This record gives sequence, C-alpha cells and structure tokens, in this order.
Amino acid sequence: MAPPNRTARVAVLGSSVQRSKSGRPPRGRSALVRRLVLVFLVVAALALLTISFRSPTSGALHDVQGAGASALRPFQVAAERVARPFRDVYGYFHGLTTAKSENAKLKREVREWRAEALKNEAAAAQNPALKKQLAYQEGPTFPKDYRPVAASVTSFPAGPFTQQIGIAAGSHSGIRYGTPVVDGDGLVGSVTNVGPSTSVVTLITDADSAVTAKDLTTGVTGLIRRGSGDSLILDRVPKNQVVQKGDRIVTQGTRDPRYPDIYPYGIPIGRVLSVGYSDNAIFVQVQVAPYAQFGSFDSVTALVSTKPAPKLP
Amino acid sequence: MSVLDGVKAAVILFVAAIVQVSILTQIHVLDGVPDLLLVTLVAVALLRGAVVGAVGGFFAGLIVDTATFGQLGLTSLMLTVAGYWIGRYGETTGRDRAHAPYLSVAVVTALYAVGLLLVHFVLGERAPALPVLSGIVPAVVLNLLLTAPVYALVRRLLRPPSRELSTEVRLLG
Repeated sequence: MAPPNRTARVAVLGSSVQRSKSGRPPRGRSALVRRLVLVFLVVAALALLTISFRSPTSGALHDVQGAGASALRPFQVAAERVARPFRDVYGYFHGLTTAKSENAKLKREVREWRAEALKNEAAAAQNPALKKQLAYQEGPTFPKDYRPVAASVTSFPAGPFTQQIGIAAGSHSGIRYGTPVVDGDGLVGSVTNVGPSTSVVTLITDADSAVTAKDLTTGVTGLIRRGSGDSLILDRVPKNQVVQKGDRIVTQGTRDPRYPDIYPYGIPIGRVLSVGYSDNAIFVQVQVAPYAQFGSFDSVTALVSTKPAPKLP
Repeated sequence: MSVLDGVKAAVILFVAAIVQVSILTQIHVLDGVPDLLLVTLVAVALLRGAVVGAVGGFFAGLIVDTATFGQLGLTSLMLTVAGYWIGRYGETTGRDRAHAPYLSVAVVTALYAVGLLLVHFVLGERAPALPVLSGIVPAVVLNLLLTAPVYALVRRLLRPPSRELSTEVRLLG
C-alpha cells in the first residue's frame, strides 16, 4: 500500500541536464585512432621482422638488439636468482626419489671406466712419440687448446620452433660464431648469434643441427641429429658397420683440413641407447642418449680456441 | 588513461616478459609451457582496452625478442594483434563478464600458438605442427591456472576507470 503523502513523479529524459564532461573524443574519431595505432604497430613489427630476417647475425639492427640484450641481462640474471632456490628445492626432492638407482648405475659406470682408463693410459703415453715421428699436423684439440668461458644461461628454448638458449657472454669474452659450447657432462651446441655480452647457442637437439660424430669403441662415424623426444640419432651409419648398445659417442673433429669442423675431436656427446636394423632403411637406426642435461642448465662453458686452425696447403 | 596507469601497465608487462623469458620457459608440462606474458597482456588489454593492449603487446614482444636474441618483430607482431583483439573484446561484449578473462586466455593461447606456427611456416622456417598442436591443450590449462591470480593482481594495480553514465534522468513531479 502506498504512503498517503506520496506524490506522482514522472521520470523523463532531462534534455536540459548538462552531461558530465568526459574529455573523450567522439566515437568515430576514437575508432579511427584505434585502427591507426594497430596498423602502425603491425607495419612496424613487419618492418622489424623483415630487416631481422634478412640479416639475423649482422647489421645495425643486430647491434641495437645486442645492446638491448646486454641492457636486459641484469634483469634476467636477477629473475633467475630469485627462482633458483625454488628450483633447487624441487631438484633436491626429485634427486632423492632417484638417488638409489642412480647410485647403483654410477658405481657400475665407475668400475667400467676405471678398467678402461688403465687400458688408455698406455696408449696415451705412446701417442706423443708416434705423433712426433709422423710430424703429425693437427688443429686445436680438446680440451688443452681451448680457453673455457663459463656463462650463466639467461633464456631457454621457448617452444618447439627453435632449440636455442641465451648465455651471458659474448664477443667481449672472445666468443665467436661457431664457438662450441659444453656443460659438465657433454656437448651442448654451438654459438649461432653473438652480441657484445650475450650470445645465442643453438643446441644439438635443434632440427637444423648436425654434428659429425664417432663411436669410440668401434670407430664408426656418422652424423648426430635430433631424434624423437629427448634423444639424438647417429645418422648415416651404413648397415655393414657395427655399433653396439652402450658405446660412447664423441665429436669427430676435422677430417679434411679444407673443411674444418667447428667441434674439436673428443667432446663427449652421448651413449648409444639402441641399434635397429630395417629392411627398408639404407642406414642403421642408432638412438643416442645425450650426456648433456638439456632440460636443466644453470650455466654452460663456451670453448674459445687459443690455437689457430692449421692453414690450408 | 593517465600517465601513471601507462607506466604501471608498462612495468607489469616488462616484469612478466622477463619472468617468462628467464624462468617459465623452463617449465614443461606434457609439452605445454605456461605463458605468463600472454596472460598478463590479456588482463591488461581487458582492463584498459584495445590501444593499450596493442601497444603493450608490441613492446612486450620487443622485450622478449631482444632478450632471447630471436627474430626481432615476430613476437611483437603476434602480441600486438592478440592485445588489440582482446582489448576490443573487453570494450564490447566482454565488459563486466566474470568469464571474460578465462575465455580470452583460453582462446588467445590456442590462436597464439597456431599464429606462431603459421608465421614460422610463411617465413620458411621450421614449423613442426604436431608438437605445437599437441602442446596447445596443456598450455591452455596452465595459462588458465595463472589467469585468476594474474587478473586479480593486474586489476588491483590498474584500478578500473570510474564509469560515466551516458544518459542522465531528471525526476519531475
């Protein structure tokens, strides 16, 4: 029931009421500005993309990008340091779950390698004398002819398009295009883009990467390429060659001085996981488990050569 | 939008880009990688509109491409379009809808992955469709997990502008 003192009130659109001043541009102009901004930004991005695509490793834009990467590096390092304790805690508990089986595996490996080291000692003692007799010419050898440059990893592969990492060392540290990069366990990849204090390393798990490699046990050679999942494959091994499960694979180094390899001989790559033969395939299917821990780099070592490569005849 | 708001949005996107490049790209769950930058950009674009979304996306992409020494302009191009599109959605049908951030993140995550695949293909670079497509669903789930806290934080930092009534009514009688 309505109260007795209520009066009829009519709501009408009050045209005489002043609208608040918003200061906004009219709707049509706003839409035009919005579209112009979008078009300008898209054209700018396409222009940058075109220039960057045409000269990915040199040029003025590359230099600006290098300077920008150097400026951003402290922020990346700071972020990485903040995250490190959390990663360490995760790594600690993850390590505990696999510690027992890993311990047994490592003990077995130590026994095998101790026996092998004894065999190799005699050969290593004989090697210098034989080289001297042959007046053997060779390029830089790993690790004695390389200066290690340790660098923290500042960026990681962002997706399935490229397998690259950023490292906090560049041309100021002596790093050049093609410098080999290793971690504590084995070969990681090579430098494919260099800035003053940052570089990009293309991993050996990249689809475009190919490393000439050698089976240390049988002497069979092939090409290390990306395999399925986290593994690698030793490609181009003819069917008449013998490769066995458990064999160690290392870089082959330069075979022909006319075509020097960027990797010196002897950098560990991985261990043979399986060997398969197929009637249809021309080559043996050799799957290799890499030694390098691609999923969990904190830092890597770039190998800067201290010895010039042998001159062409 | 005030200058202070612009600075705040820039700082938020800068921090998100650095965290994404330095930390989150290491986290792989079933081929999916959480994308904090994309989620943050969606939040900024929804709250501040298409122009801020596009400009923020462009500069955030530039930071990512510079920090990773990648193809300069590639991430910028994708994030500019994503920021603009989500900004328009926020200005129109998505306004004041609770599901808008989740819907935007899910759709943009999928389209961003497909868009990157297409751009790489057009550039003649390696464009592996299977890993990209198989990583979309885990990436959407991971990004949706990030959406609630990121959107709440960004909304707190960028308070929504006060609304103005388009029509005023005088009561007569």
